[in-house]
Amino acid sequence: MYGGSQSITFSSEDFIFSQIRCPKTITAIIAGCTLSVSGLILQIIFRNPLAGPYVLGISSGASLMVAVGILAGQTFGFLSGKSFVVLCAVGGSFFITLLILIISKKVSSNVVLLLIGIMLSQICGALQMALEYFSDPNNLKTFVIWGMGSLANTTNNDLLIYVPVAILSLLVLLFFIKPLNALLLGQNYAQNAGINFSRSRFYLILISSLLTGLTTAFCGPIAFVGIAVPILSRMIFSSAKQQVHIFSCLLLGSIILLISDAVTNSLIPNVALPVNMMTTFIGAPLVMYLMFRNKHW
Amino acid sequence: MKNTNNISLKNATLGYKKSGKEISVLNHLNLDFTSSELIGIVGLNGTGKSTLLKTLCGLLPLLHGEIYIGAVDIEDLSLNELAKKISIVLTEKIGGFNLTAYDVVAAGQMPYTNSFNKLNAENISIIQNAIAVCGIAEHQHKLVNELSDGLFQKTVIAKALAQQTPIMLLDEPSAFLDYASKHDLFLLLQKLAAQQSKCILVSSHDLDLLLKYCQKLLVIAKGEAQLISVSEAKQNAAFMKIAGGFLG
Repeated sequence: MYGGSQSITFSSEDFIFSQIRCPKTITAIIAGCTLSVSGLILQIIFRNPLAGPYVLGISSGASLMVAVGILAGQTFGFLSGKSFVVLCAVGGSFFITLLILIISKKVSSNVVLLLIGIMLSQICGALQMALEYFSDPNNLKTFVIWGMGSLANTTNNDLLIYVPVAILSLLVLLFFIKPLNALLLGQNYAQNAGINFSRSRFYLILISSLLTGLTTAFCGPIAFVGIAVPILSRMIFSSAKQQVHIFSCLLLGSIILLISDAVTNSLIPNVALPVNMMTTFIGAPLVMYLMFRNKHW
Repeated sequence: MKNTNNISLKNATLGYKKSGKEISVLNHLNLDFTSSELIGIVGLNGTGKSTLLKTLCGLLPLLHGEIYIGAVDIEDLSLNELAKKISIVLTEKIGGFNLTAYDVVAAGQMPYTNSFNKLNAENISIIQNAIAVCGIAEHQHKLVNELSDGLFQKTVIAKALAQQTPIMLLDEPSAFLDYASKHDLFLLLQKLAAQQSKCILVSSHDLDLLLKYCQKLLVIAKGEAQLISVSEAKQNAAFMKIAGGFLG
C-alpha cells in the first residue's frame, strides 16, 4: 500500500516523548499497580499490616535470581532474553514467599516475621554481591544500576511483555476477591465460610509473586511502594472490602510512583535521582507511623 | 422421615496430625445428635472438646471412622455445602484491617454469595436480623479489635447465626460474657433449637447454665464421650467428677 520508500523522521522532541517519556510513564503506572496490589495480597495472606514484597525480602529474592540467571546466561552462553529474566524473577519471589510462609507458621509475632524478612533480604543481597564480584566489568554497571531500581530502563518492546502480563495477573486476581475477604478472618473461619484455604492461599501467593517478580525484572527492586500503598489505602478508605482496596491500590500506587518519578527527575536540573530515594521517603515514615499508632501486635 | 440434619459419628477417632504422626484424642466415638436439641459439652481442659467441634465442621481431619449429616457422609460434601450445614464459633480472636462487627457478621452469608462476594437485599436483611437478635445493633459499625471481649463474642455468635445452618457448634461462647448475657445467650440457643429445629452443640465450663438450659450433655473424660440426658447428670460419675463436688 505504501509503495516506494518512505522516510520517517523524528524530531528529537518526538523521539524523547515516544521512546523515553512514554515508556517511563507507563512503567511507573504498571509498577505502582503491581507492587501495591502484591503488597495488599501479602498483608492479607500473613494477616500482617507490615508485610510487603520489599521488606519481606521478596524483591531481593527476585533480584538475586535475575542476577543468577543473567550470569548463568553469560557463562554457559545461552540466550537470556527479557522473558527469561522475568521467569527468573518470578521464580525468586515465589521461592522467598513460600519460605516466609513456612517460617510464619513457627513465629506468631508480626514484628519477628518482619525482621526475618529483612534478614532474608540481607542474605539475598550478600549472595548477589558475591555474584557481582565475579561478573565481568561490562555487566557490573548494568547490575548495580538495575539493583538501585529504575523506571527508565524499560523500552517499548519490554512493555509488550510487561503490560499484558501485569493486566492479566490483575484480572485473574478479581476471581479471588471472595477468598481475599475470607482470609481476613483467619484460616478456620475462612474454611467455615466455604473457602478452600490452602488452595486459595497458594494461588494468591502465585499471583503476588508474579506481580512482584515481573516488576522487579523490568525495574529492579522498588522500595516501600508494596507495603505503604495498602496501608495508605486502608487509612483513606475505612472499608474491609478487598475489592475496594484492590482498586484504590491501583490508583494510589500509580499516583505515588508517578509523583516519585517526577520529583526525582526535577529536584536537581539535569540529574535523575534514583526513584527508590523518593519511595523510601514516602514509605518508611508511613510504616513507622503505623507502628507507633497501632499497638495490636 | 429421617431428619436430614441429624449429625452422627460412626466409630470415629478424633485427634490431630503432628509431623505426619496421628495423635488421637477421642477414640471410637458412636454418637447421634438430633435436631431441635441443645446439647452441652462438658469436660476438663484439654480433654478434646474443641477437637470434637473442629472435626465436626471439617477444620480438623477425621482420623478414622465416619461422620454423617442425615444420610450424607461429610467427606462427600463440598466445603461450600458443608458451610451451609454447619457453623462454628471459635475461641480465637480476629480483627484488624478495618474489620467492623458488621463485616464479621456479614461473613456468615459468604457461602451464599457469588464469587465477587456481592450481598443482595436478602443477604443484608439476614445479616441485620442476626445483628438484632444478638443485641449488637448499636455496635455494628465499631472496629472489631476495639470491641470488648463480650461484644466480640456476641459478634461471632451473630456471624454463626447469619450463616443459617441447621447445625451450630459453639466453643466456650459464654467465657467472656457478663452474667445476664450468659443467660441471654443460652435462652437464645434454647429458642433456636426449639423454634428453628437446629441441632446446637455448645461447650462450656458454666455447668449450672448447661444443666438449666440444655436437654442433653456430652460428658468427655479419659478419651471417651457419653451422651446423657440432663436429668441423669447428677447420677453420672464422670460428670460429677468434672463438677469437682462444687455443684449445689
